[in-house]
Amino acid sequence: MNHNAWLAALTGELRRHGVGPDLTGHVVAEAATHLRESGEPPLRVFGPPDVYAQAVADSLGGPDQRPPHRQPGPVRLAAQGISKRYRGRTVLDRVDLTVRAGEIAAVVGANGAGKSTFLRICAGMLSPDAGTVRVHGTLGYCPQAGGTAEFLDPDEHFVLVGAGRGLDRAAARRAGRAGAAVLDWSPPAGTQARHLSGGTRQKLNLVLAQLGEPDVLLLDEPYQGFDRGTYLDFWHEVWRWRDAGKAIVVVTHLLNQLDRVDIVLDLTAAREPRA
Amino acid sequence: MTKILVVAESALRELLRRRSVLLILLLLPLAFYLSRRGDHLGQSIRFVCLGLGWALSTAALFAGSAARGMEPRLRLSGYRSLHLVLGRLLALWTVGALLSAPYFVLILVDQHDVRYGAIALIMVLTVAVATPFGLLLSAALPRELEGTLVLLTIVGLQMVMDPADTATRALPFWFSREIGTYAIDHTDGGYLTRGLTQGLAFAVALTVLVVVAAAVRLRQRRHLRFA
Repeated sequence: MNHNAWLAALTGELRRHGVGPDLTGHVVAEAATHLRESGEPPLRVFGPPDVYAQAVADSLGGPDQRPPHRQPGPVRLAAQGISKRYRGRTVLDRVDLTVRAGEIAAVVGANGAGKSTFLRICAGMLSPDAGTVRVHGTLGYCPQAGGTAEFLDPDEHFVLVGAGRGLDRAAARRAGRAGAAVLDWSPPAGTQARHLSGGTRQKLNLVLAQLGEPDVLLLDEPYQGFDRGTYLDFWHEVWRWRDAGKAIVVVTHLLNQLDRVDIVLDLTAAREPRA
Repeated sequence: MTKILVVAESALRELLRRRSVLLILLLLPLAFYLSRRGDHLGQSIRFVCLGLGWALSTAALFAGSAARGMEPRLRLSGYRSLHLVLGRLLALWTVGALLSAPYFVLILVDQHDVRYGAIALIMVLTVAVATPFGLLLSAALPRELEGTLVLLTIVGLQMVMDPADTATRALPFWFSREIGTYAIDHTDGGYLTRGLTQGLAFAVALTVLVVVAAAVRLRQRRHLRFA
């Protein structure tokens, strides 16, 4: 493993271990300087990147536990009184949700509680029986499955979706590849979506949702098929989007991240969100 | 315009990468042509034109069905439904032109004493009618199997029904038989006029219906407001 590859791997591992961006930059810069001056192979000096990152994180006393974003901005998404019935069964009953810029809302609930239905209504793909949704800004949506074209490769997806957002080809490819890199994925040129694994296809789905930097992101269990590392990368990316002032709604059934979001909308028990 | 071209390019790439499907589409009209070449040269021209219509409608049906999963996302990304329909039509028209050209050359080489201009007109109209027809079927029947069966029924009826029967004018490819008679049997211009009128009417009506169907399906729902 050469210096650059080892340093890139270390950067990713530090992020996964919850080390903040400033400290990560500092640690990587120091390691790079040491490697340059010593001329020794990084594996001999520091060991594998994940082990070294773990050691750094341990020395800091665990993952970065920054407090949640304290100053949310203006309202970006306001869903009011959303009701939906399927075949005589009430799936959503007067559900309200308001998400501001710089906030993450988690939509949780049992299977069949209407999480995906609620998100599809927010995205305008499904009409509710009652209620309104107001969106201030642009909208990005990541479905639970589908949403990609089987016979197009990732770059062609970036160009297609990017053109809708007003990006030219080069800018769309650049933005898509940058989004993919955050998820530790380098899209292979010429590999059509039908040949990607389930988890990789979801990475593509997620990258497409945030292409063009929409103001509101609706993510419907986007981490299906992700390995643990990518799952952590995903949450770090969500927190980064929040810090950049995006409003994010994530449908999830994995409750261990709920302490890191700003709003929880539980569709199983209560119909009102709790902060 | 850029958005239409990008959709067209993507749709064309998708179509051209289905190599086995393309091969079957290319050979289907040839099978129609050869089936009657031995006993009735003129009839083989009518059949090859119907075969082209069937092949193109099927391609459009499958292209329309394949696009359904992606189109809501593209709408959210800033496309209008018209961009998506026109882009897809542009791609299918290109495929239609590429598919028809070798058969026109085949007729030029293999058939004599026919009106080649009229045959070219049949092919142009076939592309113009078959593509929105297939897309409309994909909009009305989301499952490909149902759409394919309807196509099979319509093209089958088109082949077996007497073109002189008034009811056959309601079938989308009636113009093909009518202009075909003008081209092959050297009948009067009435056949050409009637065929051209019916073909153009169907092409326009089907295209308008496809645009309207997409606008309805991909409309911005009333409950959602962007500020």
